[in-house]
Amino acid sequence: MLKIKILFLILTLSVSNLFSRDYIVVQSTTSTANTGLLDVLSEEFFQDTGIEIRAVAVGTGTAISNAKKGDGDVLLVHSKIDELNFVQDGFGVERFDLMYNDFVIVGPNHDPAKIKDKKNISEVMKILSNPNYKFISRDDFSGTHKKELSLWQESGISIPSDSSYIKSGSGMASTINIASEMQSYTLTDRGTWIAFQNKNNLDILFEKDKSLFNPYGVIVVSPKKFPHVEYKKSKRFIEWLLKGRGNDIISNYTIEGQKLFFTYN
Amino acid sequence: MLDTSKVLEAIGISLHVSFVSTLFAFLLSIFFGYLIATRKFFLKKYIVSFLGSLTSIPPVCAGLIVYLIISRSGPLGWMELLYTPSAMIIAQFIIIFPIMITLIINYIEREYPQLKDELISYGASQKDILFLLITNQKGIYLTTLLIGFGRAISEYGAAAIVGGSIDHVTRNMTAMIALETAKGNILIGVTLGAILISVSLIISFGINYFKNDD
Repeated sequence: MLKIKILFLILTLSVSNLFSRDYIVVQSTTSTANTGLLDVLSEEFFQDTGIEIRAVAVGTGTAISNAKKGDGDVLLVHSKIDELNFVQDGFGVERFDLMYNDFVIVGPNHDPAKIKDKKNISEVMKILSNPNYKFISRDDFSGTHKKELSLWQESGISIPSDSSYIKSGSGMASTINIASEMQSYTLTDRGTWIAFQNKNNLDILFEKDKSLFNPYGVIVVSPKKFPHVEYKKSKRFIEWLLKGRGNDIISNYTIEGQKLFFTYN
Repeated sequence: MLDTSKVLEAIGISLHVSFVSTLFAFLLSIFFGYLIATRKFFLKKYIVSFLGSLTSIPPVCAGLIVYLIISRSGPLGWMELLYTPSAMIIAQFIIIFPIMITLIINYIEREYPQLKDELISYGASQKDILFLLITNQKGIYLTTLLIGFGRAISEYGAAAIVGGSIDHVTRNMTAMIALETAKGNILIGVTLGAILISVSLIISFGINYFKNDD
């Protein structure tokens, strides 16, 4: 078996992971990647410890399902309920609060739906469910999509089924672009929004409701379930993120002078 | 703005992965292409048609198939190929091999019958015929290489799924273009696209230079 592997790796000229794995795989979300944070954390952790991070940014739903198949050492996503279930079902060791920011509703800057002065998110969702105003949904089981679904539920409104509710089925950037082109509203995490370079005529029109809180959790995949997990290296990474220099890097991370993520200490 | 060093890295990864996948596909295309084209065998028509139909496999599908195989939950998970350049090479190979072998089979099926009769009358052996088929008309092989390489270096879905678009490791040019576009950096995306085309242009000129050197 090893001979075949050696031959194959030599043939493809990539012999880096021949005998032991010197990298850990982090399954993460597009919001952490689009802000550039994942790349910075990976580079800095490598500088500090010599351990390579291979961070895959695929969206919360996909990250969790990949981790459940054993294709990751660490899970870093933003869907607390699913994260807790992940640990409960034996796939993860323990969930830790890593960082947080919030979600915002963006829309055309002249705010046709007049949601700017509304008091809470339920009022806003009610207005946006009106067929007169377009709303773009991620529709891809990402953290943002799951938050959107929970907001509809919380507001006691069933998800609109008319043509004013548009399912992009794609990432945040594509969704924001659609919102811009179609003069519609959409939900986005503040980090992606600040980092996004193509805002056009969109603006943040509603923010700061308690329900828009966006917590990120980090979990080491269970070595009991998947013996190949690099447990020691992963644990070191999590500690570095929670208590070490990683924590400082996250809380000092800014784009155009604005802080994107907040830490708990 | 984007780091020049990161762009150079991405170009390097694109070239490494696509060179190797094209080379593998080319060698196997000639070997199996020759065998298939010069022999009659049971189900030949179906196999050739099947290979032809594989030329339109969507890159994302090729990526998913490879992912299912090399994922930890898949049969080859123990090889730890996921999120490595090797996985990208396999995925690109699956996309370009059908195209290249179909071209080779077509060429040999056309040239072989008359060449065979001619050469056997001069006393040539199978080996001689194969040698002449390969060295006589460089043109068709260079064209096949070009088409295969072009397809490999420009595809996005397959290599991205099995490679993971990981910084410094598997983020090739097309993955970088997708990432910058996802960040809203449309202009950078277009610029990277132009750079990718330029690299392909240089390689294409290089290959055609040898073609005309006949």
